[in-house]
Amino acid sequence: MDFVNNHILSIMTFIPLVTALAIAAIGNLRFAKMVAMAGSIAAFFASLHVWYWFDSQTTGLQFVESFVWIPTFGIKYILGIDGLSLLLVMLTTFLTPLILLSVWHEEEPKQKWFLALFMSLECGMLGSLLAFDFVLFYIFWEAMLIPMYFMIGVWGGKNRVYATTKFIIYTFAGSLLMLIAGVVLYILAYEKTGYYSTSLLDLYQAAPGIRDQMWLFVAFAVAFAIKVPVFPFHTWLPDAHTEAPTAGSVILAGVLLKLGTYGLLRFAIPLFPAATATFAPLIMTLGVIGIIYGALNAWMQKDAKKMVAYSSVSHLGFVVIGCLAVVAGGKSLSPEALTGAVYQMINHGISTGALFFLVGIIYERRHTRMLEDFGGLAKTMPWFAVMLITATLSSVGLPGTGGFVGEFLILLGSFQANPLIAIGASLGVLLGAIYMLTLCKKILFGPIKHEENRNLKDLSPREFAYVFPLAFLGIVMGVFPDIFLSKVRASIEHLASTFTNYRLEAQVLSPNPDKFTWDHRDQNTKVIHTISTPLNTMNTP
Amino acid sequence: MAFELPTLTLDFLLAASPIFLMFLSGLVLMLAAVSPTLEKPGIGFGLIGTFLIASLGASLFLVPLSEKNHLAGTVISGLISAFGQSTILMISLIVVLLFQETSLKSKFFRGEILSLYSFCVAGMLVMVASSDIITLFVGLEIASICLYVLAGYTDPNRKSQEGAIKYFVLGSFGTALLLMGFALIYSATGLINLKDLVVQIPKLADHRWVQLGSIFLVSGLAFKLAMAPFHLWAPDTYEASPTGITAFMATSVKVMMIVFAFRLFSQGLIGAFAVWLPALVFLAMSSMIIGNMMALVQSSLKRMLAYSSIAHGGYMSLGLCALGTNSLELPLSSVMFYLVSYSLVSLCAFGIIMWLESGVENLTLQDIQGLSTKHPWAALCLAASMFALAGMPPTGGFIAKLFVFKAALDSQLYSLVLVGALGSALSLFYYLRVIVKMYMTKPHATLSALSPKPSLILACLLGTIVVTVLLLGTILPEALFQQLLKAAENIALN
Repeated sequence: MDFVNNHILSIMTFIPLVTALAIAAIGNLRFAKMVAMAGSIAAFFASLHVWYWFDSQTTGLQFVESFVWIPTFGIKYILGIDGLSLLLVMLTTFLTPLILLSVWHEEEPKQKWFLALFMSLECGMLGSLLAFDFVLFYIFWEAMLIPMYFMIGVWGGKNRVYATTKFIIYTFAGSLLMLIAGVVLYILAYEKTGYYSTSLLDLYQAAPGIRDQMWLFVAFAVAFAIKVPVFPFHTWLPDAHTEAPTAGSVILAGVLLKLGTYGLLRFAIPLFPAATATFAPLIMTLGVIGIIYGALNAWMQKDAKKMVAYSSVSHLGFVVIGCLAVVAGGKSLSPEALTGAVYQMINHGISTGALFFLVGIIYERRHTRMLEDFGGLAKTMPWFAVMLITATLSSVGLPGTGGFVGEFLILLGSFQANPLIAIGASLGVLLGAIYMLTLCKKILFGPIKHEENRNLKDLSPREFAYVFPLAFLGIVMGVFPDIFLSKVRASIEHLASTFTNYRLEAQVLSPNPDKFTWDHRDQNTKVIHTISTPLNTMNTP
Repeated sequence: MAFELPTLTLDFLLAASPIFLMFLSGLVLMLAAVSPTLEKPGIGFGLIGTFLIASLGASLFLVPLSEKNHLAGTVISGLISAFGQSTILMISLIVVLLFQETSLKSKFFRGEILSLYSFCVAGMLVMVASSDIITLFVGLEIASICLYVLAGYTDPNRKSQEGAIKYFVLGSFGTALLLMGFALIYSATGLINLKDLVVQIPKLADHRWVQLGSIFLVSGLAFKLAMAPFHLWAPDTYEASPTGITAFMATSVKVMMIVFAFRLFSQGLIGAFAVWLPALVFLAMSSMIIGNMMALVQSSLKRMLAYSSIAHGGYMSLGLCALGTNSLELPLSSVMFYLVSYSLVSLCAFGIIMWLESGVENLTLQDIQGLSTKHPWAALCLAASMFALAGMPPTGGFIAKLFVFKAALDSQLYSLVLVGALGSALSLFYYLRVIVKMYMTKPHATLSALSPKPSLILACLLGTIVVTVLLLGTILPEALFQQLLKAAENIALN
């Protein structure tokens, strides 16, 4: 068990990859599905283990695994978890089995490859959330594009090639700028510390001068803004969402977009605090533009999936505002807004995931997603109606749902930072209610205009099984936010208050704190430190 | 300087053993080609395979690893020589294995072809293991003349002839430039060994002939490496030559010329870097821009790979540009890493094309539409090599690019790296187009014509290459890099 406890993050990350390789080798599709499901559930259990043992009182990294990977360049394999990533990791491992369930009925032979790609995508997502070395992060972050590229391009809709090429080139171009900026930062850190290291903990020490910070921040922020996407980098998103298969859309909205905001929080903001304070008003403004622009676009859509896609642009505008609400004259971030942003990421993943699932369900029945082809489904598909309404309400942020908690906190915090921004964003809440309720109304209520809709089957048990947990969780998150927030509060407040001189310590927290390999100062040798007292903290130099 | 009478020593014999073996191979195969009973593909390939393996073994185990001049500097033993020789021999061996599946083995087989191939490899081995400008030139000429013949050998059609003639005329021009450069440097310094130049050149850095000679040398190098704007022969020649020879040219000539560039820039001309550095920066930049831009509009796969190889030449010289500054080891070893990773990946890509080409001449993007439905593994290998060429993780292509960028950023070549990054983003577009055609479009009528025979050797070979490239991006980078670093330290110290 020692091994499991000490390497739980690696195990969690690489179970999906091993599963993917196994699936590729298996000939029988049915068996492949079972292997995929088993692998994803195993990863989920691993994440539950982390959740259970996660110490909510500390602000450092936990469950750290570290060894030097490419000593010549000081590139290390460091995995760790803290409050910023914990919820996103849980979301990833939680959504994956549900998505696998949603494609369980596909019987085409090439479906096997879909499963393999999906599992390797999960590996990429978990790896980028857990990596604490810039190069390691970058590898996971880029490698993630390949499965997504194939998922949209092979299994997508009519315009899939255009959408998927746009998606990958946009993201790749942005990331390359980040790579260059990262390497420059690494050289700057070397000049400061005297040793080469791409470990994030060492890069935090780099503290480049204000002029360098500006362009480095821009390079990082653009890479992440493309992923989020922040207006005006959003144009790939509606295409990718519309053309992607349902499973792809769910994971794209659920986790992939959040990696952009996670990247802002993990890299761009703490690495370049002075630049953050300078650029915050600009990015928040872009966030507000995104909120309103996304909402207006969503309102005008006739295609239900496009509508949900644009709603993502709008909702992520809130998250971006929450991440960058700089208060106290640039000395700290608003903890409320930051908490709201982290919470909203999860909530958006859950509610939008559910919405994409539901749109996918009616698309499978009617082979259309046009709103005008529906109406009155509440009569024929009552359970579907219940789920759709729950997801919608959570998405528009009705009190009692997770969306309310997130948006309220963001507005509260951003009002302190900049009242105008908060006012603009509240307009988005209003618009959100309008278009989402329009969606509900057009699909569910009114007379049944089309005869085909009269005999639609309600949710099958399998469909119910993958939509219900999301709808249910949306309510739980609204009523008992503290279940989730208590775990991550310390980390968020730490980031909010100390972002100008960010320090992140590696901490041991596992049932067996005796064995622990961690040394980022030693360049060329793998040193094993034995720490006798639990919860020992090793400060970065 | 005291003149030493060269003596034949055991060390020299060991150091030159790979070269001797390949010359021997050429002679034996030439004799075999004369006899009608021995001029058979089985015998020819058996012989050349044996000699290549023997020579590879010699380059890995017999060549002394300490940096040392033999026979007054005509042959240098040491890690860089060992690196260049073993890489070239490895490439040659893979190409010979790839030849197995083509018409070279059946329809167009002639005994001389393998003999020429052996001589060509031998010339390259001379080139990478020498720092004496006369020997260097002789090695270069042996390799080049054989390549001119090989490029136009098999195919009786006009296009192939055109490519070969173009290669010959422009290639000779490049050789002439190099020769002129050598001559100018020699007349300014009176020295023929690049190592001796290290002392003399800094004193004569303002000498007009040295400056002119450096420019000539850089231009000649650019010609041979097919760097823009000296690249015009490359696309035609690559397209017209038999694909195996194209693969050989795209990889081993690069290894040969880059190792020569190491000796030239890190030893001989290091003192005159103020002259050649701007030229090299310009060449790198224009290669990355022109190579990537032109590759965007190609429909023939080989032509596309030709332009992509021009762009990759640009990335490699991006690493070479970093040589102008204080530390030599990291840029050198990064470029070597890039060479290894690039060579493996392009051999894989060309290998797949060669294999598919047995049905269709000159493969275009249209021909491979829907390939994944018919030959899923071939499609997978080609897709993996495309991602690796584009420099996507987790392939060796990414790590190579990272190292080279790092080396260049260390030397503050920001704008150059920026161009490189934008070029990479652009390049993804045409690499992806291959994948789009294979995986995301309906099969075209010509797909049924691509029905190559299944071959176990080829499958194992290409599979191994793909796995190696993936390992280079994940587990192996340090292991390989340490070796290369040792080699680089070796040359930097001497």
